[in-house]
Amino acid sequence: MDGFLIGLWVVRLLFLALLYLFLFQIVRALVRDLRAATQSATAELGRLHVLASPAGDPPVGVAFSLDAITSLGRDVNNSIVIDDPFASTEHAVLTFRGRDWYVEDLGSTNGTYVNGNRVEGVAPLGYGDELQIGQVRLRLERARR
Amino acid sequence: MTASATSRPAPSLPRILGQIRPRPRWLELRLLALVAVVLIVGSASLGATVRGRPDEGADLFDPSVWLPLDVTALAIYLGALFAAHAAQVLAGRRTDQVLLPAVGMLGGISLLLMQRLPQDLVGSGFFGAEGLGQVQLVWLLLSVAVATTVGIVVRSDSWLRQYKYTWAAAGIALLLLTFVFGSDVGGQRLTLVIGPISGQPSELLKVILVIFLAGYLSENRALLVEQDTRLGPIRLPPIPYLVPMAAMWAIALGIVVVQRDLGAALLFFGVFLLLLYAATARISLVIGGLIAFFLGSAVLATLFEHIGTRIAIWLDPFADPLGAGYQVVQSLHAFARGGLLGMGLGNGLPLVGGRVTIPEVHTDFPLAALGEELGLIGVLGVLGVYLVIIERGLRIGAAAADDFRSLLATGLALVVGIQAFIIAAGNLKVLPLTGVTLPFISYGGSSLLVNGLVIGLLLALSDKGVEPPPPPRKRRLDRILRRGAP
Repeated sequence: MDGFLIGLWVVRLLFLALLYLFLFQIVRALVRDLRAATQSATAELGRLHVLASPAGDPPVGVAFSLDAITSLGRDVNNSIVIDDPFASTEHAVLTFRGRDWYVEDLGSTNGTYVNGNRVEGVAPLGYGDELQIGQVRLRLERARR
Repeated sequence: MTASATSRPAPSLPRILGQIRPRPRWLELRLLALVAVVLIVGSASLGATVRGRPDEGADLFDPSVWLPLDVTALAIYLGALFAAHAAQVLAGRRTDQVLLPAVGMLGGISLLLMQRLPQDLVGSGFFGAEGLGQVQLVWLLLSVAVATTVGIVVRSDSWLRQYKYTWAAAGIALLLLTFVFGSDVGGQRLTLVIGPISGQPSELLKVILVIFLAGYLSENRALLVEQDTRLGPIRLPPIPYLVPMAAMWAIALGIVVVQRDLGAALLFFGVFLLLLYAATARISLVIGGLIAFFLGSAVLATLFEHIGTRIAIWLDPFADPLGAGYQVVQSLHAFARGGLLGMGLGNGLPLVGGRVTIPEVHTDFPLAALGEELGLIGVLGVLGVYLVIIERGLRIGAAAADDFRSLLATGLALVVGIQAFIIAAGNLKVLPLTGVTLPFISYGGSSLLVNGLVIGLLLALSDKGVEPPPPPRKRRLDRILRRGAP
């Protein structure tokens, strides 16, 4: 076998080897990314982003991180205090069950709205949905990873 | 209060606050450098194989033998990849860094493949490009440009989210246009010719489908999961929400009947079922959909001859190896000749009577050509790159802030993945052969441009937004020190 053919085979195998080196590098980066995501996963289940708040409390742009049960209302004992004249003292409660969020209206005077529809009792809430309590509008978002 | 102030602002992708400043992307740069090395070595192997063939006694130490086959084309392609990288660095968004190198690798392998196939497989060139290799290079450059531009420019997704029914209507209009005005190529009515422009609308349609489904499912997800209609032992979602599902089924079967395009139908229905599962986590819907699809296909296979033949070829291509089963038989032979390590780039695909043995090798059978030249190892490597793209898409979907973006990213990744699977399985006689393209590798303008758009959207969706400010570690340390000092 002459030298050229051997050289050709070496180059061909080198090409395949380099292709796998490329894949190996990518997979290493992906594994590192996934590991970082699992390690930094906090207890945060979701975020509530304030879109509009005429009374100024909570301020617009703030994002609350949510626990499995989060109560909202004007009373200071709520998880998220909504100091709005149209909000009731104990207005609504957000719960996380299984893989979904639910909002329950606690018999508020002016009602709780999801995407503009009034909540009767308990309603499911998806990520990206908009919640209105009094004049305050909030958006549910997935926890940052 | 103005009207725009009262209307609800649509959730948008995070904006960069203040000045845009360049952000280094070291991982992307490192991977792109590796792509360049792989492609240069591959091209050298291809060049040496092609040049060394006429005179058997080529000199091992003659550097001119080892030059890449087409130095300028390779240099232009690699230059474009690094330019795309530089543009993203300058734009300073925190987007995904793995997608561009992965796609660049597939495109480069495609370029090597197209350069070594007979150049007259494609009729007319344009932009001064002549022959298969150069035309494919132009499309690859345009595809990379589309991906980079979309990845940098698109910041808001409200134009996709709010007009989902408009998008769906546009998609159906496109489909009907093809049904009526499309020109028949090889018994399939897929190509739409408007003046000098011709394209395959089903490529664009798959993106529109994903946008519509992501919008529809993210809006109605809660209802699809929660409520039930009981039909004996089977639990189904409420009837009104099943209507789009039935419509999808009808559209998929309509594509099979009118366009004779089994591949697009499989792709659309597969993406639909998987997205439905991703949104609702109800396996019963997927099983029901699959049963409906197979029943429909079985009925159609008995009614229409061309579907029946496809399935007969799939079951036994060797029944008519020189006629109906020719393509599949030649493809299987190509994989067999390739073996474990392949014949080497440029060494496969013997010409018989001046023609390639596999018809349509540049569009439908690039995987068979790669199987012959790179062997099982090489094919597995290429499929591995597709897996990487799918993983990135699903990861972007899992990290997205809301359901629409999550389902959109998942769907876009699945479109690329399922399409690659359908045609790879067709080449390998795992599924009946259908005429879809292998994303980023097959020759074809529509396919490359639309897949570039898909990658661009994935890049835009992967933006992590503004970096949270670093914790004020140093200042606190200063304070403690100062407190301790007096």
